[in-house]
Amino acid sequence: MRRLTIVGLLLSTAGSLAAQSSQFGVRGLGLPLRPLSVRAVGAGGAFGLFDPDSGLNPASFGQTGFLTASFSTVQSWRHSVSPSGNASVQDNRFPGIVVAAPVGGTHFAIALSATGYTDRNFELASRDTLLLRGAPVETFDTLVSHGGMSDLRAALAWRQSKSVQWGVGLHLLTGSNRMISHRNFADTAYAAAAEQFTISYLGYGVSGGVVARLGSMLTLAGMVRADHRLTVERDSVPFGDTRLPLTVSGGARLQLGPRALVAGSVLFRNWSVSNADLVAQGGIGSVNTTEYDAGIEYLTDPKRGQHFPIRLGFHHATLPFPLRAGDAGSETGISFGTGRRFVGDRAGVDLALERIWRKGGAGFSERATLLTFGISVRP
Amino acid sequence: MRPIAWWGGACALAILAAACQEKLASPADCPELCPGTSLTIKDTTLTALVGADSSYTGYIGYAATSALLVSDGLSAGEARIWAAFPKRPDSITVDGLAQAFTPDSVAIILTLVARDSLVHPLRLFVHRIPNGHDSTTTFQAIDTLLTPATLIDSILVPDTLKTGAVRVVLSGDAIAKLAPADGDSGRISIGIRVKGPTSTGARFSTLGSTAGGPVLISYGRVAVTDTAKQRQTLNIAADSANFVINGPPDPPADQLFVGGRGGARTLIRFFLPKSVKDSATVIRATLELTPSGPLKGLRNDPALLLLQGLLADLGPKSPPLSGATASTFIQADATVVESIDVRKIVAAWFSANPTPTALFIGLSPEGGSFSRPEFFSSRSAGFGPRLRITYALPSRPGHP
Repeated sequence: MRRLTIVGLLLSTAGSLAAQSSQFGVRGLGLPLRPLSVRAVGAGGAFGLFDPDSGLNPASFGQTGFLTASFSTVQSWRHSVSPSGNASVQDNRFPGIVVAAPVGGTHFAIALSATGYTDRNFELASRDTLLLRGAPVETFDTLVSHGGMSDLRAALAWRQSKSVQWGVGLHLLTGSNRMISHRNFADTAYAAAAEQFTISYLGYGVSGGVVARLGSMLTLAGMVRADHRLTVERDSVPFGDTRLPLTVSGGARLQLGPRALVAGSVLFRNWSVSNADLVAQGGIGSVNTTEYDAGIEYLTDPKRGQHFPIRLGFHHATLPFPLRAGDAGSETGISFGTGRRFVGDRAGVDLALERIWRKGGAGFSERATLLTFGISVRP
Repeated sequence: MRPIAWWGGACALAILAAACQEKLASPADCPELCPGTSLTIKDTTLTALVGADSSYTGYIGYAATSALLVSDGLSAGEARIWAAFPKRPDSITVDGLAQAFTPDSVAIILTLVARDSLVHPLRLFVHRIPNGHDSTTTFQAIDTLLTPATLIDSILVPDTLKTGAVRVVLSGDAIAKLAPADGDSGRISIGIRVKGPTSTGARFSTLGSTAGGPVLISYGRVAVTDTAKQRQTLNIAADSANFVINGPPDPPADQLFVGGRGGARTLIRFFLPKSVKDSATVIRATLELTPSGPLKGLRNDPALLLLQGLLADLGPKSPPLSGATASTFIQADATVVESIDVRKIVAAWFSANPTPTALFIGLSPEGGSFSRPEFFSSRSAGFGPRLRITYALPSRPGHP
């Protein structure tokens, strides 16, 4: 009962999930997010398919022997460049949560997770000149969006053997964007005006995955995920449906001696299936994406595994929603992380520091520093 | 100790990260980057409903006038002031004993509220007139009494005086001009006219105002041994005072007017198209009134044109909507179209509980100003009241 209370408490805090506000989140469904733990982020995401605290692969927590819960928060400092000018912005978002536990007396384990799927937090400011009553009047416009989509997952993993785990997951995609548009005038004879509405999303998906250790050094993992159509409403009035992509990912992890683990993974999403629906809803469209991750975790003290390990990683991904028709966007990042376990590994903290570069069409670019902090507990 | 330090450091870091303020605004290259356009701004001009605009009078009672008007040759009307004072006592109480009081000088004092300060010299002429004037007294009735034979004295208003007391002091034989007539119960009435080098006028405070109406002050001596108490004054305030005006006639039906002796008001109604009313936000609304001629009034004494929304449209007795007001000063002799910002009033038409699409126009001070502007009504094709509304329509940005 005590454990269930803790699980419920943790999931109830997952209102707004890990996010990185960005001008690249303006289009489509927003900026895609990676359902990774702080540990996986520190290694560039390369360990995501193998990491029980990440929400990527439903087989990854098959070896879980205890109830574990982890959550994280991320602080972002970002500098955006666009043809209209530059801006330095910052924001903070709330936890991504994963809770996993073995099913006593069986080879099964279950996990509940709440992570970000897309982030559509942005605030755009622009100016224009209108001809009102025969005179030019300068206007100052802001468009603010708060929200995005969350991925709530219930997963079941089966430990076939010490070397092989399988898993399946059911996903509920839900969330909303609260849009606020302001228009102010330089001529104070004109009063400011604003409009506000909410776009809400609802969708479902399933995923399956496997983790298999081959020999003593090599472990392979893969997952596939299919999401159904996303129902989109504006102020509770149907706005349209959006097909969601199929996600396929595979990776390998190699144990190099007692101190070093290296991993690499590839993830593909056919976001182009959403293109027609997004265009029909007035958007620019979408393109397929591919993500490459590579990372290493070096244990400074093999006897005390997660006692200040050093994690380094790199990732590169194409972005699904171009800012302008025909443009291609991409994201490249390097990361560093470490962590610490306490009281017989019953609790721990992890830190990850990322430096990310994003670029879109001509004139659009961004660089961001993300500090991710996570806590995991084993009650 | 070390785990405690670690936990403390971690918590401090978490708090530090969580405490960072959000700052999200980025410049946008619109319309390329913006997911949709900002609010759509449109402009429309509504004309008043033909035949549904009218002027009404009688809002100000005879005794409720807010100023006493006197003029000379104004197009807004010839005006004269009259005032009546109660009987002056013939004794005064000093140290509990009534002492006979004989004035050796008398002052007549009025308080100037406004004048055309560019016209000078301005001289007031005070006449002794018979008693018995009231709301039935006409302009002609007073004006014919203001003859050289009835003149008490005149007052030269200082050129620099814009507001404040003006007085004339009578002494010697001149005091007899203010002596009560036999059979009049001791009451004294005076009439006042004004003269300037050109047409002009002035406004004086009334009985009900803070400054008070006309006052008679008598200075005299009483027969007491204490020399410090021998000099005495006796103040007598007018107990009735008003003005009569030979104002211009009411304009024809194709014109609207406000102000005047009775505090005329004008009601104007508009029709708001459903396409605008249902979804728009008013960002600017301007009422345009076209004068039918030079605005009547006293130069350099502007009046406030006061506009109000209606709580309910009950014609001339429509209750005003508090908070939904607008105003503008109008100058005498102006001929340009008066443009008044009425956004607060019009915004109420678009609210969740919309008010009648009409507005009342009045003047402040009501019934106490020379201003009596006249504007073309909806019956004057092409010149009637117009309402320019600039409004914003939702554009629903945020396209995917």
